[in-house]
Amino acid sequence: MFPPQRQLQLQIERLLCFCIFALAQTTYAFESDFERDVAPLLVMRCLECHNAVDPSGGLDLSTYSSMVRGGESGSPIAIELESSLLLQRVMHAEMPPEKNGKSQALSSDEQSLLREWIKSGAKWPNGRVLDPYERTTTKRAGRDWWAWQPIAPPVATAATTSESIDSRIRDSLTAHNLLPAPPADRRTLLRRLSFDLIGLPPTAEDVAAFEQDAAPDAYEKIVDQLLASKHFGERWARHWLDLSRFAETNGYERDEVKPHAWRYRDWVIEAMNADMPYDQFVIEQLAGDEIPNRSQSSVIATGFLRLGTWDDEPNDPSEYQYDRLEDMVHTTTTAFLAMTVKCARCHDHKFDAIPQTDYYRIASSFWGGPIGQRNREWNGGPSKEELGFDVLGWTDLTNAPPELRLLVKGDIHRPLQVVAPGALTGSPEIARSFDAPPSDSKTSTRRLQLARWIVDKRNPLTARVVANRLWQHHFGEGLVRTPDNFGFLGSPPTHPELLDLLASELMAGEWRLKRIHKMIVMSKTYCQSSIHPSAKSYTEFDAANRYWWRAERRRLDAEQLRDSLLVCSGRLDRSMGGPSFKAPISEEALEGLSRKGEAYKASPADESRRRGVYMFSKRSLAVPMMAVFDSCDTTAPTGKRDVSTVAPQALTLLNNEWVHGESHATAARVLASSSDQEQRVSAAWRMLLSRDPSDRERLAAIDFISRLQASGSVGDNSDLRAFAALCHTIVNTNEFIYLD
Amino acid sequence: MNERLFPCGQTRRQALWQMGGGFAGLALASLLDQDGFFTKHAVASDTTNPLSPKPAHFPCKAKSCIFLMMNGGPSHVDTWDYKPELQKHAGKAMPTDKKFINSGGRAVGMLSPAVRPFRPGGESGTMVSDFFPRIREHVDKLAVIRSCYTDTHAHGSASVQMNTGKPIIGRPSLGSWVTYGLGSENQNLPGYVVMLDKRGGPIGGQPNWSSGFAPASFQGTLFRPQGNPILDLTSPGSISRTQQREQLDLLAKFNQEHLEMRPGGTELASRAASYELAFRMQAETPDAVDLSGETASTLSEYGLDDPKTSEFGRNCLIARRLVERGVRFIQLYSGGGHLEETWDAHESVEKNHGRHAGETDQPIAALLADLQQRGLLDSTLIVWGGEFGRMPFTEGVDKPGRNHNPYGFSMWLAGGGVKGGVTYGETDELGFAAETNKVHVHDLHATILHLMGMDHTRLTYFHQGRDERLTDVYGHVVKDILA
Repeated sequence: MFPPQRQLQLQIERLLCFCIFALAQTTYAFESDFERDVAPLLVMRCLECHNAVDPSGGLDLSTYSSMVRGGESGSPIAIELESSLLLQRVMHAEMPPEKNGKSQALSSDEQSLLREWIKSGAKWPNGRVLDPYERTTTKRAGRDWWAWQPIAPPVATAATTSESIDSRIRDSLTAHNLLPAPPADRRTLLRRLSFDLIGLPPTAEDVAAFEQDAAPDAYEKIVDQLLASKHFGERWARHWLDLSRFAETNGYERDEVKPHAWRYRDWVIEAMNADMPYDQFVIEQLAGDEIPNRSQSSVIATGFLRLGTWDDEPNDPSEYQYDRLEDMVHTTTTAFLAMTVKCARCHDHKFDAIPQTDYYRIASSFWGGPIGQRNREWNGGPSKEELGFDVLGWTDLTNAPPELRLLVKGDIHRPLQVVAPGALTGSPEIARSFDAPPSDSKTSTRRLQLARWIVDKRNPLTARVVANRLWQHHFGEGLVRTPDNFGFLGSPPTHPELLDLLASELMAGEWRLKRIHKMIVMSKTYCQSSIHPSAKSYTEFDAANRYWWRAERRRLDAEQLRDSLLVCSGRLDRSMGGPSFKAPISEEALEGLSRKGEAYKASPADESRRRGVYMFSKRSLAVPMMAVFDSCDTTAPTGKRDVSTVAPQALTLLNNEWVHGESHATAARVLASSSDQEQRVSAAWRMLLSRDPSDRERLAAIDFISRLQASGSVGDNSDLRAFAALCHTIVNTNEFIYLD
Repeated sequence: MNERLFPCGQTRRQALWQMGGGFAGLALASLLDQDGFFTKHAVASDTTNPLSPKPAHFPCKAKSCIFLMMNGGPSHVDTWDYKPELQKHAGKAMPTDKKFINSGGRAVGMLSPAVRPFRPGGESGTMVSDFFPRIREHVDKLAVIRSCYTDTHAHGSASVQMNTGKPIIGRPSLGSWVTYGLGSENQNLPGYVVMLDKRGGPIGGQPNWSSGFAPASFQGTLFRPQGNPILDLTSPGSISRTQQREQLDLLAKFNQEHLEMRPGGTELASRAASYELAFRMQAETPDAVDLSGETASTLSEYGLDDPKTSEFGRNCLIARRLVERGVRFIQLYSGGGHLEETWDAHESVEKNHGRHAGETDQPIAALLADLQQRGLLDSTLIVWGGEFGRMPFTEGVDKPGRNHNPYGFSMWLAGGGVKGGVTYGETDELGFAAETNKVHVHDLHATILHLMGMDHTRLTYFHQGRDERLTDVYGHVVKDILA
């Protein structure tokens, strides 16, 4: 990535030319050796720079003729091959050049392969074109990379799909002499399921009813009930909002509000609740303005493209257009495809089969929109007249966007060839260029074509990526543990067949996600305990639980934590949708704003008790309580939040006024439930942890309360304050914040 | 840093965190170890506590950094970049061959010389404006870079660039990179502290001290100079310390029972331990801002007895106290909010800089002297500067202010490993644009990391398919200012 070392390069080119002179092209005998030994070597160690697209120093080693033609420095000169300076240079580790201070020298085996090949006449199969992406090497992925391969159709092995999940997990456990954990008890299971599906805890009554329900379909009934809950969409929309870098202001200088951004949030919630087919979900977000049955709702969905940061006063507006392109390309290809296409903005992807042209093929989909500097009032998007609705959305300004040129090193002053719009080429079977729109079309229809390519059932990425995300949010980790990167630097699937099973089931079921949710949570794998009798030895073998020999224990995320406090205090406002509320933020935390008083006005307390998904997200101000519990960055898509454990989290739960307030309100409910202290202690446990306390816990709690009261530290209204202290203590326990 | 990638493309450290280790368990162990507990246990503290001290890439002097952020963009031709030529051209128009973006479309007036005279200081004779008579006394400690430049003319993006390397929000800030690379020496205080001006935060807000795509553990902690320095450090007034201790004991009991039923729950143990750490932060943090142990003469040196200098003076003094306590990176803002409340001298350089330099000159001089006297200057890197400079021309006939200038400006470094009494680089004869030995923000960052013992090309964080760096693919260390 460093500027090329011209001097050295020119020298080397010259050297290469020296030796190439004597090379001969052959049509026989050596093909196998070339394919076996030489082609991989050239692809892996030389073609990175010396390729046809942007040949370093003009030297292209992808074909015989271009190799013979040599580089910029002139025609080949005859010398003795064995004493060729090329080999000397390679052997002296000057080529490939060092990178970041690290030698890239060829190994001695590689050197001798090259020497033997040159010595024997550097034979090259007739017409053979080396392609940097033709195969996966130890350094990078090629088009044979697993993620680009077609999704394998499922082999019917079990009566139900949940059983087929289990059989695949069981196979890999058995292969490693592991046994699954026993099933989780019903309370644990219901808490897990409830937090997973709706993001809220079950009540103690829910737990009791489930524990007592002996019907064989007791669990399934609850699964269906939760999947049908309106809260399901609120929970699962949050995961998607992370991926769509959702926030409601632009960031930068003025950090102005993006009007109507909340409508996009509501659109996602409604889509999740209505179980909108995933293909439609993709199409509306990328091209809701281009579809035949376009509506206000589908145009709101294109807000997906508008949610990024937007600088209304960029230094160089023409350059800034390309930054906006990157935001759209990156968000689209990460969220839907888990490919780091943005890496190819400045050069061919270093690790994946994504040539730089692919970046521009995708980018051209967005090039017809209002990406340049226009009226500031439109916040970087179309006017409402252009859009046709007064919402936050996106549309093309023309059906014939200006041509988009590939930029050398992403530099706008170094444009190269025009790149025609099209899809990624990693899977040649489905790679396609986009057609020109019908002449009467208002838009270029490129986004629609992109979206349709993404949801083409032959696209090997889309269904896998979303199936993996579902698995991840149910289990804590995906089958691919890098959910936003299915490329070379990501981690390969731990259970490839299972991933394909889920992906093909999803497509077979008309892209309905709830069916897959149900399939997953009905599996025995999902229902097993997080405690395993052989945990100690198993951990030594598989600490990361890659074989799923137990359930993963998980910390509640910021929204789950906040929402569950509100459920416990009985103050959760369950009203859905509409403009966001602004959470109360202490004056100290507002000091970071350049316009202190004006820039942020918290909503009244009674409007601030809605679910976290409705909390206003301002880019210049992170809400401290959410940020400290790892709510995600809003500048780029996030498929997996960090989970940190740091002392400031303890400070927040110990000292934050809001947390004390909710504990207090919980205590008031506890007191109202009974006048007997022991009963009250039990009530506290039931409200906060949906179970009764153990005898030891009850005794400790009674002792705690009487000691507080005796010490006088809880003052006059002592029952309430003492129980508030007890509730507050329970809120701080590991049991409250970790799900088994 | 520069660790072998795990199969999932993460460094070992990242992978360990995400495996759910959390940090507090081992953090506590290492913390107790500092206190002499657990001496027999070999605790691999570096693997799980993101803020535990880590070795630098190479030996260096600076252990801490204090970044004095002159928010709003001080005028270099009026402060550190002595331009006698500008006097000759006074009243003339800007030469037409000098192209620039006229930020905000403001009036373009005539070339105008420095509003206050420059005088040589120290043995080096470095020219310093009369805006800084006190810092001038210490000019032999400073390396003044007169050839800085940046990429953008607007406060929001330029400030984010000075703090994160790029004018685009979402990247980790300098302090985040430094604490990511080196951890911090004191686990009872935040490793990366930001003290804002009372008038407000910088334009752009939190992204200026954000950890961006890196874990939140590395973000800057807003630190207030009085009372409770950090958010949620103490309970609401009604909760007594006795009550809290009772609660913590009860909590420990509940957590212990919970853990016993969940053998091997390392994340549970870590979290339980984080409460003890929090308890200690509560005790130690207020002490860092408690100035009652400082002598009257120290307080006076820092200007605490003068309302004009007392706010910044207090912050400088607290910065020294934080350095003494092992805090790794401290950023102090001078100027907050907008326009004249910051160094953004559109109306009048004399009036604006008179005010802001007047508030900071004495405290900064006191900080330099105090650190030196305590033997801390060698191990503390001081950086002074804003997000950009200002134009050599005014904003009109009766408007002796100057507009934003990203093409050339000055910054200075002092202390840990910096060669004192030197200047580096030049702007053109008018002070418009950096010309000789240009120093981009990336170069400045590379140099700061170098002074803190880190190679900017090796300090990487793997994010979304790429080994990200503070300096992206750029940056050269300014070797000439290294001692």
